[in-house]
Amino acid sequence: MVNDLNLMVAGPQGSGINFTSDTFAKVMTREGYYVFTNAELFSTIKGEHSYFRVRVSKDVIRSYSERVDILIPLDARSVILHKRELSPEGAIISEENLDDPRHAALPYRDILQTVATKFGKNLSELNVMKNTIALAAATKMIGLGGEKLKKVISENFASKPQIAQLNNAVVDEVYSKFSSNKKFDMEPTKYSKRMLINCTQAVGMGKVEAGMKFQSYYPITPASDESNYLESIMGEYDFVVEQTEDEISAINMAIAASNTGLRSATSTSGPGFSLMVESLSYAGMTETPVVVFYYQRAGPSTGMPTRHEQGDLRFALSAGHGEFPRVVIAPGDNTESFYDTIESFNIAEKYQLPVIVLLDKAMAMSNMTVEQFDLAKVRIDRGKLILKETSNYLRYKLTDDGISPRSVPGVKGGLVMIAGDEHDEDGHIFTEDADNRIKMMNKRMKKMGAVLKNTPEEMKVKFYGEQKNKKVVVSWGSTKGPILDALELVKNTSFLQVRMMEPFPVEEVTKYLKGKTIIDVEQNYSGQLADLIREKTGLVADSRIVKFNGRPIAYEELVRAFARVPKEKEVVLDYA
Amino acid sequence: MLSTVKPQSYKTDVEIDWCPGCGDFGILNALVLALQELKIPNENVVLTGGIGCSSKIPHYVNVNAFHTLHGRSLAQGQAVKIANPQLEVISASGDGDGLGIGSGHFVAAGRRNVDMTYLIFDNGVYGLTKGQASPTLPYGEMPKSLETENIKFPVNPLFLGLASGFTFVSRSYSYNIKHLKETIIRAMKHKGLSLIDIMQPCVTYNNINSKEFYDPRLYDIEKEGWNPLATSEREYKEKISQAVVKALEWGDRIPMGVFIEYQTETYDQKLQKLIPQYGKKNYVMEPIDSDGRPLGDATKLMDSFC
Repeated sequence: MVNDLNLMVAGPQGSGINFTSDTFAKVMTREGYYVFTNAELFSTIKGEHSYFRVRVSKDVIRSYSERVDILIPLDARSVILHKRELSPEGAIISEENLDDPRHAALPYRDILQTVATKFGKNLSELNVMKNTIALAAATKMIGLGGEKLKKVISENFASKPQIAQLNNAVVDEVYSKFSSNKKFDMEPTKYSKRMLINCTQAVGMGKVEAGMKFQSYYPITPASDESNYLESIMGEYDFVVEQTEDEISAINMAIAASNTGLRSATSTSGPGFSLMVESLSYAGMTETPVVVFYYQRAGPSTGMPTRHEQGDLRFALSAGHGEFPRVVIAPGDNTESFYDTIESFNIAEKYQLPVIVLLDKAMAMSNMTVEQFDLAKVRIDRGKLILKETSNYLRYKLTDDGISPRSVPGVKGGLVMIAGDEHDEDGHIFTEDADNRIKMMNKRMKKMGAVLKNTPEEMKVKFYGEQKNKKVVVSWGSTKGPILDALELVKNTSFLQVRMMEPFPVEEVTKYLKGKTIIDVEQNYSGQLADLIREKTGLVADSRIVKFNGRPIAYEELVRAFARVPKEKEVVLDYA
Repeated sequence: MLSTVKPQSYKTDVEIDWCPGCGDFGILNALVLALQELKIPNENVVLTGGIGCSSKIPHYVNVNAFHTLHGRSLAQGQAVKIANPQLEVISASGDGDGLGIGSGHFVAAGRRNVDMTYLIFDNGVYGLTKGQASPTLPYGEMPKSLETENIKFPVNPLFLGLASGFTFVSRSYSYNIKHLKETIIRAMKHKGLSLIDIMQPCVTYNNINSKEFYDPRLYDIEKEGWNPLATSEREYKEKISQAVVKALEWGDRIPMGVFIEYQTETYDQKLQKLIPQYGKKNYVMEPIDSDGRPLGDATKLMDSFC
């Protein structure tokens, strides 16, 4: 019996690899298994070598594995590149004549010819369905009924029923003709209704639930998947997604829509965020509730647009000239992405400041099975928003907590004056009075203390494992997945996930790390969180495990690395 | 300082810090007169400005006012109108703000055709930074504030506005308050994106493009028989080429007036094609929660991923 099965589909970009892996992942999710996928693709549309992994287990999994059990190569090159990852008991599903005992051969041409004849088509029209042959062979080896695969294929091609019919005929043909000595009998599991999603979809659903009404964006990998998802549902869920001429416009539009009274956001990646920086400072000065969803990718500059990195933590914390309050939140998985999205709007409106939600390519392009969100837990807090008639209104009125009542255009008696220059309580700028400057700086900056004080611990940090453990791994963002998977195999080690990066939860981080052997794990070159922890708490990480080759961490790499620390001060992971 | 203006006044009592004689005063007066004539409730008007002398105008008009960043007046103005189409939106920029640092937004705005009005205070110099050459300063000119003559060709705001798709393109003059007021009213009444390129002498730094320069040169094209109205796409295409010829005129005679006025689909109408409820509900005033419980419901979306 197999309880941890890894399938890889590899081939030239545009040859249907994502269709193959997505369909397989969906079928296994429907069977009640936990699924985790990883996509490695080039920043091109067609031709370059790309590969998708699908890991399946009856137990919770949160990362991909180095091992491949079933390899589906869609060209000869993929066999050469990936057979070393294939386990000795694994199978290569291919039509090529391979000198490899793991080869599970199929007569691709005969299968396609039979279906072509049956439907009166030319063989060349069916060539694109080679991946369906391999997919059906894989599900058959796992022991699944062909009907289950056909149902998912029919859903995928709902708008093209004839294509679905042809693909499903290919499935029937494989199921009736193909038999292999290779079998991957999965340990049985109980069905439970779960979603198969990546974090762009989790964030999108969070925005619907949060009542967001305006999103602006400029196309950029890997952030635009989220905006494109929102565009596909905006008609039904009643909000605006605006594709702008550049990221400067994107954040300015989000800021203006927010100051007009809508919950507003923009989504981008590093290069786009770089363009937004001046306006982020403006949002801080004007006390505008705006949320930036920041999907990190490998930089600097254009870097590797489709590859993963957590290299922008220090940038997100310091971006923008001058000093202003901001909140930076880093969810570690899809479920957190959903709830944190909603909370980011609450924080932005309650404290009237910009919030940055740090996400990354690994989360944006990895699908995983998650339980359905508990919508009963969700709360909306719009803070001191005024939508009814008011009088003697001052947009920047000095108050005990630094937060002023917030009127918007259209409210009688509540005319709003917003200004990016230093201003009086009424928003006018014709004072550079020294006392006023001190009052206004204090007003804005004191919000940070309130955020720290009022935010519950689980928004700031999460601690996994036993408190008595001497070794504590510390990390942030999507490394949470491989860390938790690795720690199931490593004894006496706990994990502290830092979730709020600004204002920094000094008290909580100190509580969990003081007196411990601190192992920092990050997907960047320098260990930016370790530096931040030292700056804020004085605590020094004993070892840093980093990976910056553009690929997410496989959990096995971490298991090996944990055995080398704290003896080794730095471990660089390089699995690709 | 607390505002003590009467509710229906469109002028604030904030002290104005433009130079004495600045062309900006005429624009402020014309705008206030236009608002008084149209009688739109103050709270339903939003005026945005960028950065520069002219972009301080939001502080002087008693409406909602967004004093934004350099070059971002129009980007923010469009978003205000998209967020709440019931508001009357006017954006103000200098020619540096709108056609230099903000030129990308200018061009993109034409593609949307948001129903709003864009005023360009056009004086050929960056006044607030002591008079450097701005995008509309004619080639070879050297106003007294410049260190060298201007070796860049100028941008023609009207030509660029026509090319970008602004559906109301006009020019007026800050010392002709009557014409400017009337043009602002027509621009605000126009359904779609309106541009007014306002000749606005900078008395401190631009000694060339002064009142003495403009007074004898400016003439009203509509008084000379030009009818800017295009009532069909065909007519629009015919008129736009003639409007371009007029827009390029610059010399002993400088044209002003409305060059094109074309009623076509506005951005809110286009958005409604994608979002059926858009504009029918007021997103701003519509609640998103009931006692903290969200009214948005992701249940069906979650199901779609199961």
